[in-house]
Amino acid sequence: MAAADSPSAALRRRDLCSRGIRLAGKMRADVVDLLDAYVEQQGLDASASVAAVEGVPLAAVERWDEQTGTQRLLENLAAYRAFRALLAQMLEEQREQLGEADAGLGRALAAVLLQVSAFAYHLEELLRLESRGVPGEEGDGPPPPPRLSLFEQKLRGLGVLRELAQWAVRSARDLRQLAKPSPATGAAPGLAESP
Amino acid sequence: MFSRWNWVACGFYLVLNICSPDASGGLVQSCGHIIPESPVLALGSNFTALCILNESCLDFGNIYASQIIWKIKNRVVPKEQYREINRTVSSVTFNDTSALATPLTCNILADGQIEQNIYGITVTVGLAPEKPKNLSCIVHQMSRFTYVMTCTWNPGRHTFLDTQFRLRYRWPEEIFPDCIPKDVNNSCTITDIQFFVNTEIWVEAANALGKAESDPLVVDPINIVKPLSPQNVSVSSGLLPTILKLSWENWISNAVMTLKFNIRYRIVDDTDWMEVPSDDTASPRTSFSVQGLRPYTEYVFSIRCMKEDGMGYWSDWSEEKTGFTTEDQPSKGPPLWRIIDKSHSPACWTVHLIWKALKPFEANGVILQYEVTVRDKSSLSSPVKKYNVTSTNHTLELPEGTYEVTLIARNSVGASPPSVLLIPASNSKAPVKNLRTLPKHDKLWVGWTAPNSNVLKYVIEWCLVSSSSDCIIEWQIALGDVQEVELKGIKPFKCYLITVYPLYADGQGSGQSVKAYLKQDRPSKGPTVQTKKVGKAEAVLTWNHLTVEEQNGFIRNYTILYKTIDGNETVVTVDPSKTEYTLSSLTSDTLYTVRMMASTDNGSRTGPDFTFTTQKFGKGEIEAIVVPVCLAFLLIVLLGVLFCFNKRDLIKKHIWPIVPDPSKSNIAQWSPQVPAKHNFNAKDQMYPEGSFTDVSVVEIEADDKKSFSEQDLKPFDLLKKEKSTSEGHSSGIGGSSCMSSPRQSVSDSDEGETTQNTSSTVQYSTVVLNGYRDQTPAQVFSRSESTQPLLDSEERPEDHAGGADSPAQRQQYFRQNGGQDEINTDRPCFERTKQITHASEGDLVGFVQLQISGQSSQPLGLGMEKNTQEAALSNVLQTYTEGQTVRPETVEENPLSVDEMPKSYLPQTVRQGGYMPQ
Repeated sequence: MAAADSPSAALRRRDLCSRGIRLAGKMRADVVDLLDAYVEQQGLDASASVAAVEGVPLAAVERWDEQTGTQRLLENLAAYRAFRALLAQMLEEQREQLGEADAGLGRALAAVLLQVSAFAYHLEELLRLESRGVPGEEGDGPPPPPRLSLFEQKLRGLGVLRELAQWAVRSARDLRQLAKPSPATGAAPGLAESP
Repeated sequence: MFSRWNWVACGFYLVLNICSPDASGGLVQSCGHIIPESPVLALGSNFTALCILNESCLDFGNIYASQIIWKIKNRVVPKEQYREINRTVSSVTFNDTSALATPLTCNILADGQIEQNIYGITVTVGLAPEKPKNLSCIVHQMSRFTYVMTCTWNPGRHTFLDTQFRLRYRWPEEIFPDCIPKDVNNSCTITDIQFFVNTEIWVEAANALGKAESDPLVVDPINIVKPLSPQNVSVSSGLLPTILKLSWENWISNAVMTLKFNIRYRIVDDTDWMEVPSDDTASPRTSFSVQGLRPYTEYVFSIRCMKEDGMGYWSDWSEEKTGFTTEDQPSKGPPLWRIIDKSHSPACWTVHLIWKALKPFEANGVILQYEVTVRDKSSLSSPVKKYNVTSTNHTLELPEGTYEVTLIARNSVGASPPSVLLIPASNSKAPVKNLRTLPKHDKLWVGWTAPNSNVLKYVIEWCLVSSSSDCIIEWQIALGDVQEVELKGIKPFKCYLITVYPLYADGQGSGQSVKAYLKQDRPSKGPTVQTKKVGKAEAVLTWNHLTVEEQNGFIRNYTILYKTIDGNETVVTVDPSKTEYTLSSLTSDTLYTVRMMASTDNGSRTGPDFTFTTQKFGKGEIEAIVVPVCLAFLLIVLLGVLFCFNKRDLIKKHIWPIVPDPSKSNIAQWSPQVPAKHNFNAKDQMYPEGSFTDVSVVEIEADDKKSFSEQDLKPFDLLKKEKSTSEGHSSGIGGSSCMSSPRQSVSDSDEGETTQNTSSTVQYSTVVLNGYRDQTPAQVFSRSESTQPLLDSEERPEDHAGGADSPAQRQQYFRQNGGQDEINTDRPCFERTKQITHASEGDLVGFVQLQISGQSSQPLGLGMEKNTQEAALSNVLQTYTEGQTVRPETVEENPLSVDEMPKSYLPQTVRQGGYMPQ
């Protein structure tokens, strides 16, 4: 908390929150656009219902408003690290499938991947400001997903992007919540409650 | 001999060493090498190279380091820079690498002074890269989702080497691929830019001499975005005529970046843009209603945007879109004025109402018509007259009086406020004071001092003054609190007549006028001067004023420049109102050149030269000379006449001595001979053939001045000569000739006529008469030297009888002659001369001519019986004296008629003064 008390740390946190919120907003917009392009490119139905994809964290959570700041940050970080791996895999698969035929979709995926990475960086910085250790990424990362068919890959990609869009919305709300000044605790509302 | 072969062998070895393939596979086995091999050196640094000889060459070729020569290109490096390190190594040192050139060669001077190249290197000289400076980046939006970041920097000095620049950027935990510029060394563009994460950007420059990095630039790319300008801009009319609604689309979603805007607009024909206050458009939006516009006006709009917080860059201005505001009722009444023509009748005016069309921003639409209302203020009972007019003028015939004219402009929306003009019966109010013009910044301003009373407004009239056309009046209205206005449409170098009228609530002031130029120039031509009158020492010059078109400004003065051919030029300045000037103190009879110059404030122009010559004599000088001379001459003549008059007795005594009258002598009664014949034929008597041919009778008309020609004088000369020849022989017979002296008398007598002196001795002489001109004298008069007295009885009465038969005129003539003789006898000769002189218009010369010549050859009959030669001459004179008219005079003293005269040829007493020829 010592770091949180310093004015520069408060400014830094506010700045990180602000830009994180906007990054989340841009990420959502880009993902939504990417979804359209992806659906069209992969020949999927935009209204297709995709069941929960394994390894993809869900944005929906109960008692969202009861979460502490640190908890929010940790959940977000875990989710975006997962998205980063999933998107990297999607990009790999995309290149394998289409080569350079659809560079636009590949660039859009890469851009979203960068945004996910950038957002994860924001979260890590915020956690550092909270004097919380940044949880290390799990060794080799999540276990490699089972080998899927091409269609399953497409559906999984659709699920990843949809969930990422959801997470972008939630992350923005989480950061806004973090950025709200708390009269009791000053600049770090809720963080004191974090375990 | 050995040595010689030894050197040959050595050279051969060297060649073999150089040319033979070496064991390592190379084609050339060098006898040495240079280190460093092809170095890259910093410019300005020092450098040392070593040439190392192979041992094999030493052994066989007998060459050593002391024999090494260093060369730069083909130039030998001075020996001072060499150093022999050992027998196989030689070094060369350069304190400044800028003196180096490629190649640097190591050569050896073998025995026999044969120079062989051992090795060579290429030296590259350059600079290490400087630290790139001034790194800056901008993110350009290329499309809705595409952004590129272009960074530029200052690469620093030229390195003369191949220097690599690369733009590097990274996130704290992620490094991105470098951006390597193509074809340039000062900018690079990154395509995969991501927002909302601080990115560290820097430039790295590297070449063979080193590496340098710029200061890092840490920036979130979202803060350096130059977005695309809004698209699909459209303009629509609002509900009000002063509002237009502007709509557009943004390229950037609010999720990425919220924007603020700039909106600019202008009237379509205007060039100046107006801007909507930035505070009004500082929030994200896609439309905006621009207010405060002019009705019925076409506007052009443009918009741009940037990040709402002001970070980054403004986009370019969007494409321009136009919109038209709707009509509104005219905002003001048209400026109204009048021109009153009273020339037809002072009691009945022709009033030309004129007004200016409203400006577009005042008309607020299309003016459909004007409504003119005229109210006679002097008569309340008079009805108000209304006129609907579509033009901007209206003419009324009004009786003299005070009127109030109201004008309204109307468009499709409504009517303008009324313009009211009061036309008073007389402009009796106070005029403006101190009217002046002020050319300022190529505009002509007219200013005035307001009169004391409250002025509603002023009317400023002006017109271009022209000599060839009427003044076309232009006008404008200024408000009452204005005392200076700029006149529109004023051209330079033109004269304008400006008049200002103050308008009061209850009347109008009289106009004050001033002439003005916006700019003046020198006149376009000079005055043409000429002389009106030239005298001996003065000349009157005259010229015409330049026309107003030629003046180009106010003529401040005229300058007259005149000079003689070889004299200095004299300059005279003349008031510009003058058109005439008198040059004085000129030299007489001298050629002068004069020209004239007209001057304005901005220069002068000279007219053509004009030359004139002054007169030799001044006015009255000739008269002053001639008149006194004439007067003096007349005075002399008069004095002479007076002198003659006073001394007439003396003159008479000396010139005309008293000649005794022979008729009174005793011998008059004696007639020595009888006339040879008696011819009673009157005609024959008068004009006996051949008897008168020796008498010349001269009739001279008094006014026939030409008759006194030299030709006519010749006979007289002859006569004079004859007289001269007879001098001493004449005895003054007849005593009648004033010209005859007692001893120089000329006697023209008939045949037988005798001349007798009263002296005791009567001399008779023979007189040979000359004929007149070419006439041959037929008579010879002999003068007797006899002293015998004449007898009265000797005179023959027949002679008189014959005379009685002659015509009355002849009688009268002879009587007159007789009388004249008497007069001649009684009166002094001078008097007769005087008469003649008087008759011949005072020409004294004429008198002389009269005596000696006769213009007319008409013979004058002479009475042979009684008339003497003197009488004949006397008659001549008398004839001339009296002119052509011989007035009959009855000589009462002559008691005898011709018939009564004794017809004897005896000497007789000739009472008439005549005498008979003997």
